[in-house]
Amino acid sequence: MTRGVRLVRYLQPRVEGDLRSLLDDHPWLHQVAGALGSPLNLVLPDQVARNAERFREVYRAHHLSGGIYFAHKANRSSALIRALAGVGGGADVASLGELQHVLAAGFAPERIMATGPKSREYLWLAARAGVIVNADSVTELSDLAGIVAAHALPRVRVMARLSGFATTGTTVLSRASRFGTPATGTAPLWDVLAEHRDRLDLLGVAYHLDTVGLPEKAAALDGCLSAMDDAGRHGLNPRAIDIGGGFGMNYLADAGEWESWTSELTAAVLGRRPPLTWNGHGYGLRNEGGTVRGTLGVYPAHRTVAGPDYLDRLLRTESTAHRRPLGELVLDHLYELYVEPGRALLDQCGAVLLRVEDVGDDGRGETLVRVAGNGTDVGLEQHGVLMDPLLVPRGTPAPGGPAGVYLTGNLCLEADLITRRKVFLPSRPQPGDLLAFANTAGYLMDFSAGAALMQPTARTIAAYRSGDAWRWCLDDRYWPVTGREGTR
Amino acid sequence: MRYDSVTDMIGDTPLVRIDAAVHGLRNIDLYAKMELFNPFGSVKDRAAWNMVRHRLPGAAGRGETVVELSSGNTAKALAVIAGMHGLPFRSVTNRMRVPEIKDLLLLLGAQIDELPGRSECLDPTDTDDPLTRMYHAVSADGAGYLHTDQYFNDLNVQAHVHGTGPEIIADLDGRAPDYFIACVGTAGSSSGVARVLRAHDPAVTVVGLVAEKSDFIPGIRDIDEVHEVGLFDPGTYDVIEAISSDEAIDGLLTLVRRCGTLAGPTGGGAYQGAVRYLRGIDAGLTGRRTAVFIVCDRVESYLSYLRDRRPELFRQPARANSVHSLTGDELAAAPTLDVAAAQAWIDAEQPLIVDLRSPFAYRALHIDRSINIVDDRFGEMLHGGLPFSRRQPVLLVCPVGEKSARYAALLTRMGHPDVRSLTGGVIAWRDAGATLVRD
Repeated sequence: MTRGVRLVRYLQPRVEGDLRSLLDDHPWLHQVAGALGSPLNLVLPDQVARNAERFREVYRAHHLSGGIYFAHKANRSSALIRALAGVGGGADVASLGELQHVLAAGFAPERIMATGPKSREYLWLAARAGVIVNADSVTELSDLAGIVAAHALPRVRVMARLSGFATTGTTVLSRASRFGTPATGTAPLWDVLAEHRDRLDLLGVAYHLDTVGLPEKAAALDGCLSAMDDAGRHGLNPRAIDIGGGFGMNYLADAGEWESWTSELTAAVLGRRPPLTWNGHGYGLRNEGGTVRGTLGVYPAHRTVAGPDYLDRLLRTESTAHRRPLGELVLDHLYELYVEPGRALLDQCGAVLLRVEDVGDDGRGETLVRVAGNGTDVGLEQHGVLMDPLLVPRGTPAPGGPAGVYLTGNLCLEADLITRRKVFLPSRPQPGDLLAFANTAGYLMDFSAGAALMQPTARTIAAYRSGDAWRWCLDDRYWPVTGREGTR
Repeated sequence: MRYDSVTDMIGDTPLVRIDAAVHGLRNIDLYAKMELFNPFGSVKDRAAWNMVRHRLPGAAGRGETVVELSSGNTAKALAVIAGMHGLPFRSVTNRMRVPEIKDLLLLLGAQIDELPGRSECLDPTDTDDPLTRMYHAVSADGAGYLHTDQYFNDLNVQAHVHGTGPEIIADLDGRAPDYFIACVGTAGSSSGVARVLRAHDPAVTVVGLVAEKSDFIPGIRDIDEVHEVGLFDPGTYDVIEAISSDEAIDGLLTLVRRCGTLAGPTGGGAYQGAVRYLRGIDAGLTGRRTAVFIVCDRVESYLSYLRDRRPELFRQPARANSVHSLTGDELAAAPTLDVAAAQAWIDAEQPLIVDLRSPFAYRALHIDRSINIVDDRFGEMLHGGLPFSRRQPVLLVCPVGEKSARYAALLTRMGHPDVRSLTGGVIAWRDAGATLVRD
């Protein structure tokens, strides 16, 4: 292997189907970015509907019923929300604003789940509208019951979120959670639900674990099954288990690229190869006397089992307590299964376009590419997702072959890099080219975008097919009938 | 041979020649260092004992817990030794990936703490390594701990400097082998043996074997993970090569089936890696050479690992009366009843109602007077023949009527004249408003 080839370390994104077709249409991309500016967000509402269908297929394979609630926090696009409303999906909202958003998008109340930290206003609207309230604590249930009583509202369906599940055999450690009632001390929960029986209807129990680890989720689901049984013995009638989200996404096209990049990062941290990151950043790894310490603090960008496949794997996992697959146990009990995928439902649903402003050398042998956008417009660094953008040249690509470059943002801050990883592109970018950050609809789009330094925030447009051509409209102008005037 | 303590049996393992007809090398004598002969079953017995022996006196009085980051043989040896000396043992691990080892550790009285998986909604500032978390967890309990620290403890290497290495030289009549091949886990055995062999003869070639990335061979680290090992020094090895789990299993099969050596996957990997490396050299040799590889442990603990990767090795003859053998026609012809018809039949004929769901679910809610036989157990019973009289009508129920239809079809094929499946299962029964009870 020659030294030159060794230095190129692509992490090419996995781009499929409609998103691939759209991002291959370079004239179209330049036209919309020219008209609407950089940064620019693209969303594909039809794709989210197809993703929901893939989750439903897993339900059918396991003979399970219950709702698939999209975790709204992953993306605030109206087009995506309305597309899901159009195909009978559900929505998991985590604020008063999100609740208003989905009610206005046409979700029926029984298909809305209110989660997250809750203000009294949020609780009132949830109860008034008749959505399911996923409660984090006993206090929250008491507050809700008080609001229902004071305002003579109808009985509210509630889920009780649990956390801190016990495990059998080995002790499966889990990160401490801000949310939920300890599964090992549910007595006060059943008491408050029994006391307010006329105001609160216990639909079931819930968990949401922030982990990619299957054994932890299996232990939690086991714990929910026990809690449901316990609730039944306390005279309550729960019918559903909500297992939250966290099914994950596979961002990269090639496992080999991910494996060799992470190996090379280790080598770079040990000083055995030139750095692959800005200022030799180790992403959590550090060199202590020639030995690597710390853990790699990045999202596992290549995953062989993610999204609906991960749900399927979880349902096939055997319960340690009952020695039977968890999916079969849920079914045996006639329970409904609720899930709240965010990222996984937005697979292949969008991209962020940034225009190249300037390309130069930093005098230390590195190429810096300044783009019209910043680290809050594409959340790669904030969410630890490492992947290359796609280069969309305006004219003839520069000669000279592949280029490794650092992407700097438009904020007047040393720390404003789109990613601290050196990204690799098929040729050196030129001013006026676009960089397309593919598959960024889930959490990476405008999750924390703001108006720092009064730089413009991205407009979002919805792209949809009309025959072979791509059409678009502003995100808030999209409805499931848009572009389908020929149909009824 | 008489011993005062089982720990006196650690070490002095045999060196056994592998038949040239098996490995096919013409100019190289290949020897296996049989570490599986250690009393607790692996090469790790040496390191475990050497790291802990001098710290045992008074440890029980001080209320210490033996702690190690291990999911395998080191944990096993430490659990045994801790138990012998009245100390608790706690193993902290990223994941217990081999179920037999996990069960064995629990049987030995170990406490196993599995660390959480990676965060899905990532906090890039949270980069504590497992070791840091372990120290927090253990000191939070207020008691002292005896951390053997196998990845950084030089006593791990010393166990092999004073044991394994000199034993090999003695068994080769005072000569170092020309080639030494070992898998790299903690790097203790490979570093310790390499140090001794090189001191004896600087010309020895040391080959380190690591697992291919994203592959998993119990006890071997991959090329990234070795860098997290304090004892690992790339300078120890003349060559570092990767082996796949497939190759390790091929090697294991050769050792267990043809060499009378009941080696686990690490030993299999070392054998396969050794032969692969030596084959390239063998062709060009004129004189005789000697090579040694290490057989780390025994095969029995890895049956489920092997079953996952090579299910064909465990092929069972097809069993009689299996639902898997049903044809589409037989399934389509399964006798079924809808809820209303089933209710009428129950009143008229009082069939035996068999609920195939889990006991846990059955206990919560079921059709009155039904009995519960969970489906997989019911399937087991049917392998032996009809479990009830042909004159006894039977109604089978499951959640949605799918499994019950399969078993109804199977019982019909087995000659039962009056078995039915409840269409739509208990869910349809509930949705029709029919009674479900909790006894």
